[in-house]
Amino acid sequence: MSEEILKALTQLFAIITKQDGGVTDNERLYVIHFFQTELDHDRVIEYVKLYDQFSGYGKDEADGRSRLTSVKDSVKTLGICKKINQTLTQKQKVVVLIKLFELVGSGSNFSSQRKDLINTVSTVFNLDQSEYSAIEKFVISKDPVALDLKEILFVDDNSVSPGAFCRHVHAQIKGTLIFLRVRSVEMYFTKYVGSEANMLNGFIMESNKVYLFTHGSSIKTQAGDALYYSDMVAHFNDQLKTTRLSFNAVLGEVKFPSGYFGLRDICISEGPGKLIGIMGASGAGKSTLLNVLAGLIEPTEGEIRINGFDLHKERDRIHGVIGYVSQDDLLIEELTVYQNLYYNAKLCFANLSEPELQQRVVDVLHNLGLDQRKELRVGSTLHKTISGGQRKRLNIALELIREPAILFLDEPTSGLSSRDSENVIDLLKELSLKGKLIFVVIHQPSSDIYKMFDKMIIMDAGGNPAYYGPPVDAITYFKKSTHQVDSNRGQCQSCGDVNPEQIFNIMEARVVDEYGQPTSRRKVSPQQWYELYKERFKVNLVPDIKEQPPRTLHLPNKLRQTVIFTLRDTLAKLSNKQYLLINLAEAPLLALILAFIIKYKSAPGEREYLFRYNENFPAFILMSIIVALFMGLSVSAEEIIRDRKILKRESFLHLSWNSYLLSKLIILFTLSAIQTFSFVLISHLILEIEWKMLIPFWFVLFTLSCMANVMGLNISSAFRSAVTVYVMIPLFLIPQMILSGLLFRYEKLNGLISTKGKVPLVADLMASRWGYEALAVYHFKNNSYEIPFYDLDKVIAQANFRSTFLADELDKRLKFIEDHLNEPDDSIRQIMEKNLALIREIAQYDVYNEGPPGMKTSANGTLAAYTPQLISKIEMHLDGYKKRYQDIYNQAVNGREELMALKESDDDSGYDVTLYKNRFYNESLADILTNVSEKNRIIEYEGKLVQQVDPIFLDPKPAHAFDYRAHFFAPQKNLLGTLVSTYWFNILVIWIMTLLLYGTLYSELLKKMVSSLALGNGILRKRK
Amino acid sequence: MRILIAGLFFALFMACSSGNKSEDQALVDALDNTEMGDQAISGEVSEILHRIPSPLEISVLLKQSGKKYNGAFLNSPDNLSRYNTNYKRALNLGIYGTDLGYTNIYEQSQDGIKYMSTIKDLANELNIGQFFEMETIARLVSNSNNLDSLLLITTQNFNAINHYLQSQNRSHLSVLFLTGGWLEALHITCEVAKSNPDNAQLKEAIGGQKIILENIMHLLSFYKDNDKNMASLLAEMEGLKQSFDKVIITSVYKPSTFQVVDGVMIIKDNSSSTVEITQGDIDNIRTSTQNIRTKIIS
Repeated sequence: MSEEILKALTQLFAIITKQDGGVTDNERLYVIHFFQTELDHDRVIEYVKLYDQFSGYGKDEADGRSRLTSVKDSVKTLGICKKINQTLTQKQKVVVLIKLFELVGSGSNFSSQRKDLINTVSTVFNLDQSEYSAIEKFVISKDPVALDLKEILFVDDNSVSPGAFCRHVHAQIKGTLIFLRVRSVEMYFTKYVGSEANMLNGFIMESNKVYLFTHGSSIKTQAGDALYYSDMVAHFNDQLKTTRLSFNAVLGEVKFPSGYFGLRDICISEGPGKLIGIMGASGAGKSTLLNVLAGLIEPTEGEIRINGFDLHKERDRIHGVIGYVSQDDLLIEELTVYQNLYYNAKLCFANLSEPELQQRVVDVLHNLGLDQRKELRVGSTLHKTISGGQRKRLNIALELIREPAILFLDEPTSGLSSRDSENVIDLLKELSLKGKLIFVVIHQPSSDIYKMFDKMIIMDAGGNPAYYGPPVDAITYFKKSTHQVDSNRGQCQSCGDVNPEQIFNIMEARVVDEYGQPTSRRKVSPQQWYELYKERFKVNLVPDIKEQPPRTLHLPNKLRQTVIFTLRDTLAKLSNKQYLLINLAEAPLLALILAFIIKYKSAPGEREYLFRYNENFPAFILMSIIVALFMGLSVSAEEIIRDRKILKRESFLHLSWNSYLLSKLIILFTLSAIQTFSFVLISHLILEIEWKMLIPFWFVLFTLSCMANVMGLNISSAFRSAVTVYVMIPLFLIPQMILSGLLFRYEKLNGLISTKGKVPLVADLMASRWGYEALAVYHFKNNSYEIPFYDLDKVIAQANFRSTFLADELDKRLKFIEDHLNEPDDSIRQIMEKNLALIREIAQYDVYNEGPPGMKTSANGTLAAYTPQLISKIEMHLDGYKKRYQDIYNQAVNGREELMALKESDDDSGYDVTLYKNRFYNESLADILTNVSEKNRIIEYEGKLVQQVDPIFLDPKPAHAFDYRAHFFAPQKNLLGTLVSTYWFNILVIWIMTLLLYGTLYSELLKKMVSSLALGNGILRKRK
Repeated sequence: MRILIAGLFFALFMACSSGNKSEDQALVDALDNTEMGDQAISGEVSEILHRIPSPLEISVLLKQSGKKYNGAFLNSPDNLSRYNTNYKRALNLGIYGTDLGYTNIYEQSQDGIKYMSTIKDLANELNIGQFFEMETIARLVSNSNNLDSLLLITTQNFNAINHYLQSQNRSHLSVLFLTGGWLEALHITCEVAKSNPDNAQLKEAIGGQKIILENIMHLLSFYKDNDKNMASLLAEMEGLKQSFDKVIITSVYKPSTFQVVDGVMIIKDNSSSTVEITQGDIDNIRTSTQNIRTKIIS
């Protein structure tokens, strides 16, 4: 208190006491007593002098002049009060007013003049009139009947209340303990009328003296009853009485998967309106306890019931009741304070209109003192724009806005200044007074904060509970348990401070050796404290309230959730300039680098660039695919990890996981669409790929990128750190490159995976292979040069193959049969059988079935029935077969030449074969797709003749409707019995992959696999 | 949402499953009007083809003339991109074949490799790539120092191609292939002769081509009714033939004699032919050849 104020108060005291007959000795004593509590001995004398001077103590005053003085004094009083008004808080002013009444009361000269003056004071102090009169009655009156007010609480051993309005509590006490609540400032005063020696915070209460009843205070009656601040507050709080909430946690053991003990049995039972602290040395299991209570960790044994509903088994019934503020920041750093809160609120209150919602957000911001900061971006912890305390408050605000009935906070004050800490706890206290049940893990609280808790749970190492009860009592409990001096006193006699550190000093005291050095052994082991705890603390369970807990949560439907998630994420991403710049510039930049590097003077003779001779084009297609996959993967790989904390918070809301994922997909797919489009655009411009390829290429790359997005999300959801995720990327990408079909030919892979004439199954799992095939086949078939000739080319290629290679091969095999017709050797007959089967198959299924009659049936015959005559018949058939396809070939070739001549002769179209081919066709790609370098044009594999050349002109022969497999670069694929173009088929396959991956993402399959793996290896370390 | 996705896939499915004919059916459909008269002439063509010597044999003369290698005589492999019809491909395959022989005679391996890859590309497009497997080519390259085996391999190869094309009813390609090769050989010989006017052997060799030209024209004439390109080529050849008109070849037949050399009996062919050709004739031939060639290679 400043000197100025003290002077003002002295004057105020003097003015009041000198009224109506001057200062009595009692009054003067009271004033001196007051000075003594505020000042040192020397100064007291000085101020008493001052007081005497102002009050005219010792001077006789004529009665007649008193009235005049009074008016003058009133004016003076006003002046003093105004001065006080500018400095003191409302709470302090209430204390001043109480002091004034006490002063007047001590003199028992409560004249109207004095009363008027005090009235003036209270008016200037802006005190509510009803509160004023309550204070007056509380201090002055001795008659309980006069105190029959709402603001009054009687504690006595009567079983009935003394009045209709006042509150009443029964206790083992002689006399009456009276409490006053000053509602506007939420302060409590108490006084005792009676003869017993009751203890307030360990000090004897004088009768009829008014005491301030602060947080954490307790009164112990002589009979041993204890009255705690929190209980008393609960009696005053009407809201608490209407809040129907019970929280019963009966926990057995909580074991970690690693086998560590997280917690031993503990029972916690609370009703509404409590602020519970959890303390303990580090590693004692504070956070574990909190997480178990909040339902984040399922206890190995035991259950938690909220209003009788099991926290784990009946989640639906208590949905939205729990709020959790973790130790970490759970903010979206890119958004402003307001946006953080707004989108959170939007997810919680589908029932509120837009203005209502905004009002609510503004209100909460105002309540938490964040309204000045609402347009600031939250920023990361490294690039702070708002202070640590503000961040913490915002974190709490995010939970507060939906007003959960039970709130869990993990170290909300860590890293905050003592002032910020106090603000935060004040806020929580206020909330608890509104009926919320709040659990707070707290570390090294100051005395004031410590006392504010209604109850304290103290944990010892190894998850052993050591104490559960009122905070101040904890100190006495530990003192008593270790037989310390002065064990009844929890707090300092003069200042009322408690030292929570004491608890840990006692709890963890170590045995000293003979040299006085502390050893590592504790005097009382955690186990012993736990035994003591079990003996000492018998928790009576609060009766389960059998009704739905209060809830304010109205979740929007899934579609709206998706929209909100999307909006929120989009805003966050848009405001992150670096992210945007990198992700939007990445694709065109890569396209530029890639296309620029691989564009060279490719025309024969190195005269100029001709697309036709760009040998890098097939590799370019593969690179585009890798780029699309890589971009898709890297852009999504961090998504869920980054959101993990926010997801943890929102897990209490039971928001739709599907909506969340869909919102991610919407954003990522949009980004992928933009990225791949810019990539395709730039690279096609540089490489002079024709325009009609732009959209088809884009769509394949987009499809791949989307697949990679979902893949990335899978990885992101399964692993804990971004580093792991980025390490995973090559693991995903490199097989995609190996098995893409370009770098390593499928025919030349390890025999275990390679199959002839079909793409290996393992390669079918690679999106890159489908993408590459789709692009290569599409480009070859649909480029402006090839498109009019493709069908003819296909006929030519097939006819050529059959007339040249297939016919010869069959002829060879027939010759073999002929030569060995009478061969008895089994192994040779086997070969003959096989050869026969091959011939039979061709004869049977080929469209060509002319030739000598009976040919078909003769080919059907068994080997035994073969005669040279029959063979010559088959020979004739084969001859016809060959001729037939020769004719087809020649005709198709002629047709092609004619078509080309026809197109060229049309001057209007500007068609020029060479020009078209140079611009639109690519030789290298064609070489790959026709497999020209293959020596063995036809091979036998597993009893079938396999065509190895011209895959692009060979349609697959599906064995059944679901036989999707085909050789690489097949122009068409079998889809449920119809042949569809490879381009669409492959895109469909990739989308099906994407869909499947979405399924695993939704079910978090990968995450489960990873964690079960980690469990098996015992990697999962004990959580903090 | 899921319905949406399902719908999307359905649409995709519908979009891509539009009309599909069986591939075999398409093959047969391509054969709507069968009227190829190739078989009939095939036998005769084959006979004539066998009579025509490999163009490479002329090349040997060139080397013997002592002239240096000149790549400018040849058709540049860079022209490959211009040949997009089978007609041109076959002609130029012949041309490049001769060029390859020329480069090999002079042991120009680098150019030789270029010609080989060009030939392979053309052969692939003509669907006779199987005759130009990497191994065959590698053998050609490694044998470039050995003229005889080069000739042997190339001749075998070209013979095989001829045989194959005939067996596949594509003898017209064979004819074109041969024409191209012959024309290129004539062109190179004329060019060499130009800078070497006194070499009688070269002149004689050029004059001797008259007989081969007649054979080639006879071959071409088989196709003139069916193939416009070949008809026009024949017309051009007619011009060349006129340049050869003044050349007179007289053959003198003498019976063969036996001779024992180092204890081995050798049959000696005593027949000879004389070729009368003037410098003016050679110039005419050269110009005509060049005209035809330019059209073919451009």
